[in-house]
Amino acid sequence: MKVSFFETVRYRPPRALPSEWPVASGAYDPEAGAQAYRDMLERLAYVEALGFDWVSVSEHHYSPRILTPSPIVSAAFLAAHLKRATIALLGPIVPHSNPVRVAEELAMLDTMAGGRLVVGLLRGTTNEALTYDLNPAEARERTDEGMELILRAWTEPQPFGWQGRHFQYRTISIWPRPRQQPHPPTFALGTSRESCEFAARHRLGCGVSYGPFEVMAKATRYYREQCAHHGWEPKPEQILYRANMLVAETDDAAHALLRAQPGGAPFTMRAGVREAMQTLDSRNIAGEARSPVVTGALPTTFIGSPDTVVEQVRRCRELVGAGVLDLSLHPPGSTTVEPLMRALDLFGSKVLPRIREI
Amino acid sequence: MFSDGQVEVEGARFRYREAGQGSALVHLVSAGALGLTPAHGLLARAFRVVALEVPDGAPGASPSVARALTQLGLEVFNLMATTTTVPTALGLALQAPARVRALVLESPAVASAPSPDLAGLAIPTLILLGTLDDDPSCAVGRAYQVRIAGCHLAFVYAAGPAIAAERAEAFTEIVADFFERRDAFVISRATTLINP
Repeated sequence: MKVSFFETVRYRPPRALPSEWPVASGAYDPEAGAQAYRDMLERLAYVEALGFDWVSVSEHHYSPRILTPSPIVSAAFLAAHLKRATIALLGPIVPHSNPVRVAEELAMLDTMAGGRLVVGLLRGTTNEALTYDLNPAEARERTDEGMELILRAWTEPQPFGWQGRHFQYRTISIWPRPRQQPHPPTFALGTSRESCEFAARHRLGCGVSYGPFEVMAKATRYYREQCAHHGWEPKPEQILYRANMLVAETDDAAHALLRAQPGGAPFTMRAGVREAMQTLDSRNIAGEARSPVVTGALPTTFIGSPDTVVEQVRRCRELVGAGVLDLSLHPPGSTTVEPLMRALDLFGSKVLPRIREI
Repeated sequence: MFSDGQVEVEGARFRYREAGQGSALVHLVSAGALGLTPAHGLLARAFRVVALEVPDGAPGASPSVARALTQLGLEVFNLMATTTTVPTALGLALQAPARVRALVLESPAVASAPSPDLAGLAIPTLILLGTLDDDPSCAVGRAYQVRIAGCHLAFVYAAGPAIAAERAEAFTEIVADFFERRDAFVISRATTLINP
C-alpha cells in the first residue's frame, strides 16, 4: 500500500470567519496566510521524513478551508522543497480550465520535478462551478473533452488542431513534453460511471474519495469491469482512495476526536443556490444517482487505535481494491494543527510501517 | 436541394450531386457512396458543392476526374476527399496544382499509404481525424501530415472516421474556414467581447 498525505494548508484565522461559501475575502489575514504556508513546508518536511510516498494537493476556491486555489502553483512550490516525495496534483478542475494550458504546466512541472509528478483530473465539487461562471449542466461534458485534450496534447508528435464541442484550438504543440513518457501516472478522479469509463478507455487510474468502503467499491468494481472490457487490468496503485482518518491511542479516544469535530458541510452554499444546484448538477456512483451537494461533514472511514486502523486499511484494500490511500489525518478547516501533528506521529510510528505490505 | 447528374469522359461515367452557389467545393466520394451527409447541406450554404463519385484508391483515375470536372465548368476548386478517395485527390492535386485552391482529407484510409512524391505538393492541406478513430487510421493521417509540407492536422472530438456524418456542424465549421482562409485559418476570429 502506498500512502499519500493530503495537504490542505492549515490557515489559522486570528478571528472567527463566516461559514458560508464563498467566504468573504476581506476576512483574510495576510500574516496568518503567510504563516500557514511556512507551517506547511515544515509539516511536509516531517511528512516526507516519516516515509509518506506522496504529498497531494487539490483545487478549491474562495475559502480558507483548503488554501490551494492554484494546485499547479502549490505543486511546483512543494516540488522545489521536497526531495523525495512524489507530488500528487489531484487535481486541476478541468471544466473551468484551459486544457492546453493545463497540459503545458503539468508537463513543465513533471520535468522540473524530475518525473515526480502524479496527476488527477476531475470535474470538481459542485460549488466550484460558480467560481469561474461555469454552467453546471455542461461540466460533465467539458470535463471529458478537456481530459481527452490534455492526454492528446501530451502525446501527439506533430502540431494539431482540436475541433471539439466545448474547446476549439487550431494549433497545439506543447513544449516541454512530460518527463515521464508518455505522460505522468494519471487518474480520472470521481465515482461516476462517466469518469470510470473514461479512465478505463484511456488506461488511466481511478480515484474515489471519502465514501464508505462498500459504496466506493461499487465505483472501483465498475472501473475494473470497464478496464476488462477494454482488454486490460489495472494495477493496485491505479486505484486511489482519498479518505479521512482519525487515529488515536485507543478506539475510544479516536471516537472522542470525531465527536468533537464540527459537523458542517465542507463548502456551505446559501440555501437558494444550493437548491438550484441540486437541480442543475447531476452526479452518480457507477450509474446510481447521488446528491450533487454535500450537506454534512465528509465521512471518516478510518477511525480508531493503530490496530483498528490497520485492519480497516486491510478491509479497504479487499473491498475497494485501493493500492494508494490519500489521507487527511485531521479535518481540513480545523483551526488547530496540534491534533494533526499528534496523529502524524502516531500514524508514522504505529500504522504506516504495518500497512506497507497490505 | 441537391440535383443529380452525370458526366461522361472517354466512355467512363461519373455520377455527381450538386447544390449551392459560390466558390466551388469538389468532394470526391467512393463509388456507390453518393449519399450525402448533413455536412453537405451546411457547406452548400457557402459553396457550390459538387459531390463526384470516383473509383476507390485509384490515383491513376485523376486525369479522367480532372477532365470530368472541366466538363462541369470547374476550372479552379477546393477539393475534399474521404477515406478511400484520398489517393485520387492527391493524384489530382499533384497533376493539376493550379486548379486546386486547398485540400481537405477526411480520415485517410489505412490502405492508402502515402506516396513519396507528396513532398512536391504545395497546396494548403488540412487532414481531419476523429478522436474515436482507431490508432492505425490516425497513424496514416499523421504520416500524410509529415509528408505534405505545411500540412495541418485537426482532431474532431467524439467522431469516428465518418466525421462529416457524426459531427456535421463541427466538420463544416473547420472545413469552411479552411477553404475560405487556407493557412490563415489558424488565426482566431472569435470575439470575446461580452458587453460593448
